[in-house]
This record gives sequence, C-alpha cells and structure tokens, in this order.
Amino acid sequence: MGALQIDNFIHTSILIFAVGALVALALGKRDRLCNLVSNSICIAAGLLLMVASAMKLLSGSDLIQIELFQSSLPFLTLEMKIDNLSALFLMILSVLTICVSIYSMGYISHYYGKRHVGLFNFLYITFILSMIFVFTSSNAVFFYMAWEAMSLLSYFLVIFESERMENQRAGTLYIVMTHIATAFLLIGFMIIYSYTKSFDLFGSSDAIPDTAKNIIFILFLLGFSTKAGAIPVHIWLPYAHPAAPSNVSALMSGIMIKTAIYGLIRFVLGFLGVQHTWWGALLIGVGIVSAVLGVAYALMEHDIKRLLAYSSVENIGIILIGLGVSFTALAQGNEMIGALALIASILHAVNHTFFKGGLFLGAGSVHYATGTKDIEKLGGLIKVMPVTAVLVLCFSLAISAIVPFNGFISEWLTYQSIFAYIAPGQAGTNILFILAVAALGLAGALAAACFVKLFGISFLGLPRSEKISNVQEVPVTMNIGMGILAFLCLLMGVFPLFIIRLIDGVASDLIGNSILGQLQGGFLLTWYSMDLSGTVISPFEILIALGVLTLLALLAIRVFGGEYMERKYGTWDCGFEGINSRTQYTAAGFSKPIKIVFRILFRPSRKTEAIGGTYYYPDRIEYKVESESIFEKYVYLPAFSRIRTFSRRTKFLVQTGNIQNYLVYIFITILALMAYNRFV
Amino acid sequence: MSYIIYIIIQIFVMVLTAPLVNGIIKKAKAFSQKRTGPPVFQMYYDLYKLIQKGTVVSDVSSWIYKAAPYVVFSTALAAALLVPVSTLVTPTNSIPGDFILMVSVFALGRFFMMAAGLDTGSTFGGMGSSREAMISSLAEPSILVCLFTAGLIAGSTSLDGMMTFMQGTGTSPTHPVVVLLFLALLSIIMMETARIPVDDPSTHLELTMVHEAMLLEYSGRHLALMEYGAAIKQLVFMTLLVNLLIPHDQLIGFAGVGAVVVSLLIYLLKVILLAVLIALVEINTVKLRLFSIPNLAALSFILSFLAFLQYFLMGGGNV
Repeated sequence: MGALQIDNFIHTSILIFAVGALVALALGKRDRLCNLVSNSICIAAGLLLMVASAMKLLSGSDLIQIELFQSSLPFLTLEMKIDNLSALFLMILSVLTICVSIYSMGYISHYYGKRHVGLFNFLYITFILSMIFVFTSSNAVFFYMAWEAMSLLSYFLVIFESERMENQRAGTLYIVMTHIATAFLLIGFMIIYSYTKSFDLFGSSDAIPDTAKNIIFILFLLGFSTKAGAIPVHIWLPYAHPAAPSNVSALMSGIMIKTAIYGLIRFVLGFLGVQHTWWGALLIGVGIVSAVLGVAYALMEHDIKRLLAYSSVENIGIILIGLGVSFTALAQGNEMIGALALIASILHAVNHTFFKGGLFLGAGSVHYATGTKDIEKLGGLIKVMPVTAVLVLCFSLAISAIVPFNGFISEWLTYQSIFAYIAPGQAGTNILFILAVAALGLAGALAAACFVKLFGISFLGLPRSEKISNVQEVPVTMNIGMGILAFLCLLMGVFPLFIIRLIDGVASDLIGNSILGQLQGGFLLTWYSMDLSGTVISPFEILIALGVLTLLALLAIRVFGGEYMERKYGTWDCGFEGINSRTQYTAAGFSKPIKIVFRILFRPSRKTEAIGGTYYYPDRIEYKVESESIFEKYVYLPAFSRIRTFSRRTKFLVQTGNIQNYLVYIFITILALMAYNRFV
Repeated sequence: MSYIIYIIIQIFVMVLTAPLVNGIIKKAKAFSQKRTGPPVFQMYYDLYKLIQKGTVVSDVSSWIYKAAPYVVFSTALAAALLVPVSTLVTPTNSIPGDFILMVSVFALGRFFMMAAGLDTGSTFGGMGSSREAMISSLAEPSILVCLFTAGLIAGSTSLDGMMTFMQGTGTSPTHPVVVLLFLALLSIIMMETARIPVDDPSTHLELTMVHEAMLLEYSGRHLALMEYGAAIKQLVFMTLLVNLLIPHDQLIGFAGVGAVVVSLLIYLLKVILLAVLIALVEINTVKLRLFSIPNLAALSFILSFLAFLQYFLMGGGNV
C-alpha cells in the first residue's frame, strides 16, 4: 500500500477513459452498443479513480507525482501532482461520473437514430478527462491547457443540440464569458511568472511583493468567480446549463463550476497565501450577493433546468461565504476557525455536487418522460413516476438544508465558523459576518420555497395536460444513477463525520491545523461536538427521534381513535363544477408574493390584453407577466453595445484591409519591442 | 438515564400544555370582547373528537398528503426536544442539537406542509403554501440573527447552554439587549405561529387565510395532527422566549425532585403570562395587509440586529 500503487491506479484510469473516448468514436454508428460500451468503460474508470483517490485521502501518503509527458521545451512537461485537495475533488468527480454514466445508459436512448451518439460520448468522456487534469495539474501551463480544453469541450456539449437557436446563443455567451475569465487567469499567471520565474503551483510565492499579490488576487477572483457563476459575472450560467443535455448539465453544475472553487483554494490559499482581511471580506460580500440574488432569481424561473442553474449560483454563494470566513480568519492568524470554515466550504461544494447533480438528472428524467422542461405544463407526476418523485424530493430537501440530509451539515458548519469568529472589538467584520448569517438564513428559506415550488407544481396536484397523465416511469438505469446520489446525500447527512474526516485531511494539508481533535466521536459515530461550549448536534438521533415520535403518534391515535376510516372524495370545489388543472395554483402564482415583496430585484411588469369579441365578452384574454434581469439590462447590454459601437467606428480606421498598413503595424511593433529591450 | 427522564419530561410537558396555551389565548381574547368564549380546555376535546372521526382524503392527492400530518407533528415534537422546559433536568452531556438544528427541523415540517397544500390541486392549498413560503422566508433572517446574538452572548449555540448561561449571570430583564431580543422574539412568534398581525387563526376567509388554507382539505385524525403540531410549535417558540430571556431556575435555592416540580410550575406560569401577552397583542393590533408583512419582518430583523449591535459594538460585557 504505497504511493506507487495509487499513481498506477490513477494512470490506468486515465488510460481507460482515453480508450473509452476512442471506442465511443469507433462505434459511432451503432448507437445502442456505443452508448452501453462507452458508459460501462466510464463507470469502470470512474470506480478505479474513486478507489485511488479514496486511498490517497485515507492513507495520508505524500504528494503523488505522475509524469504524463516529458518535453525538452520549457514548461511543456505535463506532470500531475495529487495532494489531498486534488484527491478530494477527484473523488467527488469520479463518484458523480459513475452515477451520471449509469444514468446516461438510459437517458441517451432518446438520441438513438437521431444524433451521433459516438460523437456525444466522445465529447462527454474527454470533458471528464479534462476535468481530471484541471484538478491534478502541477504547473500553470498544464492547468491552463486543461482549463481551456474543459471550456471548449463543455462548449461543444452545450451546443450539441445546435439546431435550436437559443442553444447557439447560450453557447456563444458561454464561450465569450469563459474566455474573459481565462484572460484574467492568464494575466495572473504571467504576473506570477515575472516574479518567481516559475509556473509551479506548489512553489513558493515569497518573491512576489504585496501589491502584486493584491492584484493577482483580484484577477484570480474575477477569473474564477466567472467560471463559478458568482453574481455579477454569472450571466452565462443560467443559459448554458439548461442548454446542454441533462447528463452534461449535471456534470457542469455538479463539478465543472467547482473547478473554480478548487482554483481559488489552490491558487489563493495554497499558493499566494491569504494576506489581507479584505480578501476574505470581499469573498463574503460576493457570496452574500450571489446566495440571496441567486435563489431569488431561481424562484422566478419556470424552466426546471434554468431554476436549477440559478440555484447553483446560490450554492456557489454559500461556498464563497464559507471560503471568505476562512480567508478572513487566516489573514488574522486564526488557524482553527480558518480550518473549520474551509471544511464547511469544501463540504458544501461536495454536497452540492451530489444534490445538484441529482437534481439535474431528475430534470432530465422529467424531460425524457414528458418532453417538456416547463413546470407550468407538468403536474401530478408523482402518480406516474413515483420513484423519480421520491428521489427528487430527497434532493430538494437536501438542497434546502433540511435534516437529515447533507445540505444541513455544511450550512451548520458554516454557521458555526461564523459563530466562532464573531467577538467583541472587531466592529466592521462583525457586522459583515452577522449579515452573512442573515443572508444564509434568507437564502435557505427561499431555497425551501423554491424547491417546494419545483416539487409541488411539477410532481403534485393535477396533471396540466392530457399527455402528462399518460407518461411512463423512466428506464431503471436512470433511477439507479439518481438513487446512488440520493443515498449518498442521506448517508452524508446522517453520518457526516466520515466525509468531514476526509476534508479535514485537506484542511490540515493546506493550513497545517487539524480540527479533528475538536470533533469527538469515532469513525462512524454520529456524535460530534465542536469546541464551542459543548454544542452538540446529532442528525442521527434526530432521525431516530422523528421515527419514534411518528410511531408514538400512530400508536396514540390507534389507542384513542380506533380504526382508520378513509373516504376518497374530490377536492373541495366551493360548490362549483369541480376543480380542474386550470383552477390549480400555478408556479407563477406560487412565487408571486415573493416577487412582489422583492420587486426591486425583479422589476415585474404585467400586461393584460383582451383579444377579439366585444369589450365585455372578449374571445380570449392574454395575461403576460415579465420580470427584468437587472444585470443584463443595466450592466451587460449597455457594455456590449458600447463595445460594438466602438469596434464599428474603429473598424475602418485600424482594420483597413490594406496590406501596407498592416506592414506598418508590424514594423512599429518591432521597433517598440526593440526600444523596450534596449532601454528598460 | 438522565437523558431518558429529560426526553419524557419534555414530551409530556409539551404535549399536555400546548393545547392549553391556545385555550388561554382564546379565553383572553373572548374576555376582551365581553364574550364567554370556549372553555380553556376546548382544544383537548376538539382533538379527541377529531381523532375518532373518519377522514376524507382528496382523490387527487398522493402519499405526501397523508405523510405530511405525521411529519409536521413529529418534527414539532422533535424540535421540542431541543428546547428545555427546565434546565434542571437536562442530561449531563448536553442535548443533541442547537437552535440551527431546531430551525432546520421546523423547516422539514414546513416543507411537507407546503407540499401537502399543493398536493390536493385546490387553489386554497396553493395560496396558503405560497403565502407561507413568503412569510417564513421573511422571518428566517430575524430568527437566526436573534438567536445568534443570544448565542454569542452565551458563547454557545446549544439552547441548553444558552439558557444555563443566562441564569448564571442573573440576566437583568431591563438590559437593552434583553428588551430588544424580547421584542424581536415576540414578533417572530407572531409570524411563525399564525397570529393576528400576520394571519388570523379564527377565520376561513380566503383573503386572509395562510395557515388554515394549507389545512383546508384535512379532516379527522390528519387535521388533529396538523393542529396539534402547530400548537406544539407555538409552545416551543414561547418556551424559547421565556426560558432564554426570563430565566428562573437560578432562583430556586434547593435541589432534587422538588426543585424540578417548582421549576416546571414557574415555567407554566411564565407560559400562561406570555399567552396572555400574545392575546393582548392580538387584541390591540389589526390584521396586516399581506404585503405589509415585510414591514413587520423588517422591524423584527432590525430589532435583532440592534440587539447584536448593542452588545457587540458597545463592547460586550455582562448582560
């Protein structure tokens, strides 16, 4: 059981992934065979990778180094280095890959005979492969290559159903935003290189002066938060994630946006080292805005996948709040709280991977069965798709931070780290931190409202069209894929210490402070008490209590009330003709009160129009409610139109199309460079 | 062993007292209106009668509808386990949860209640769920900031730890922090338990219903469980207020079983007084327009926030 074995495992799994990608292309025309074979290969490779990364985390072995490609060119040696942080992200990537691949075995069947399944699976596997490299690259050049490959491959997957105009537009927005982000990162890397003369991610940053570090931090924050989808640089996310096929959305929302969190931890915490309190405070600020606005926008969406995409923005906000608390505490030298908050933040990233991955798969199942993603057209699915309904309910509870699921544990840890930080005599940060508490509370309650809406309107009540009441439950592989994720959400919620133990390894790697001493209890024991005047929580006991109390209630009712007598009857209809699907509450109606309360965010407008007939008896009435997206309307659109006008104006001045002019440009550039080298 | 005794006392006190609190509030309101009002124990009779009746279940509904009453009831009682009625009986190694867990357990019950409202396909249910979603979202920041402030003063998020701390320092009820927290918690109780400025528990008018609208389809034992769950939730929040901000266990000079009995009696007295206070608030305010509730929520949040500022910007110190 040495490091050797683990690196062989990882190497092999990468090879299997690569082989899988080629096999997918080779079998391209035989849809069914291709899909089954390439997904099986994916599952096998994922299992291997999961085992390897778990072994790394559990054994506590040293850094694992794997050289993929040796080159005499400087910086082109591609080397993977895997520490605990990389191993943890590899592990959640592999778990999600396994589940999504099982799911895809059924899900992709709707592409049979219609699309090039081989090409799709090729892109899907190489996308996963590119993320593995992002998490393991040891120098900035390799990181950049993997990052770029990840962006491009996911772009192709986003526009895979390219005949729809909206998907193309989503893809374009995505590729533009992601490259702006990459540009910021590149500038950051270059500044680092100009001081340290190295691209090594595991090197020292001592040579970089303080001002430069501040600039690099801002660049990295801009670059990574764009990829993560934090507000206000989130605008690509709600378009790109819904456009991709659902299994890819699950990967994108589940793990791809976490590469940005990985990047922030790796580059800022690991490489630069946190220097100033305001770094953390800025992160908390971005987190608060993303958490509250993300969920508020999610609540207004009626397209399941877009709702989920906005909810990803919210969860990124929660992760950033945790990370910000960690940075703030570390900048002030408080390693214990720094480690605690880092664990909270990473745990939320892990949790979000599982429940949001599951929710996107659930949205895929609904779309697969009914052909629509519009909540307003669904209803009553719990009767025709009972298994999917239960699984989506589990994920909804998990994402709303409700016991006994995993979302609660990470939010609890985030609250606890804030709680531990606040103390008299640090006025500014105290207020920011208590606002973070309020924001977390508001976001949590709004998330619950949002997922009651998602679940209640689409799965409960009456079906809103004839077609919906005749759909079939999805293929069993799809439910297995989601079922594993749901089980993990419950397991991590009831026995949280196991996963916290692994993440503690990451924190002690990075910060050098293990908080495990403060977590009492054994390997699978549920008790754990933080070092905070004996505050204990035990989700396991609450689960038992809920079970026992329910049984007691049943028993008491049986004793006092006797036999259960039930009569089926129609829902009360106030004496009218009977209710139908059009008298039901709609998703728009459900979120209306919140929309009115927060009208400053949505700027809703409504239009009622009577069409045909007489004034008093129109043939039909059209009622339209619209809300504005303030960031797009007031920030991005004006900026885009300025840029467009500018480029139109300069088009004929600079880009004349005349070859002499271009030769002059080249000449001037060479002169300038010569002058620079001579005099500077 | 102390653990089991604690659980038994918690459950018995909460289950037995919760309907009484409703009776007292009703009686006090009736008194102010020069009516006799229903007997104080009316809710017990109602619950007993409802349990014995058969139930009508909507043919639109699914298992969620039938599961919701049990979830609502058991979550209310599970949350009750986290809020000690008397700190004299809490187990030595503390209770397994804190106020963050309590909020989350209540959220589980509320999630099912709102889902059940949508399950029958009735417009009323959807309306109730939608309004409940709004009110609970608005109340949440206030609850957390309020309890966070109290927790920070005590240095623990565990309710048991917080209550014990508050006794130890001999909290002065006139300290500004305590007054602010008291007012904040009182307005939270009004919002969380469907009381008058927010919701009127005694009407079935579609313009004003919130909590009742969600339960409109329920009957028989399901309705009993829902009502019982709501009553217990109300008592949990009241217990939170009286035991946290007006602690009394430090006044009892002796130990043993007698002390526990005395402590519980004082607790009951405090709860009854608070019930009368809630009735007074209900009598003296009017039901707010639905879209004025954000103002109340904002007021409540500001009170909690001021308490926080008062304590942490004015330099902490003893409360």
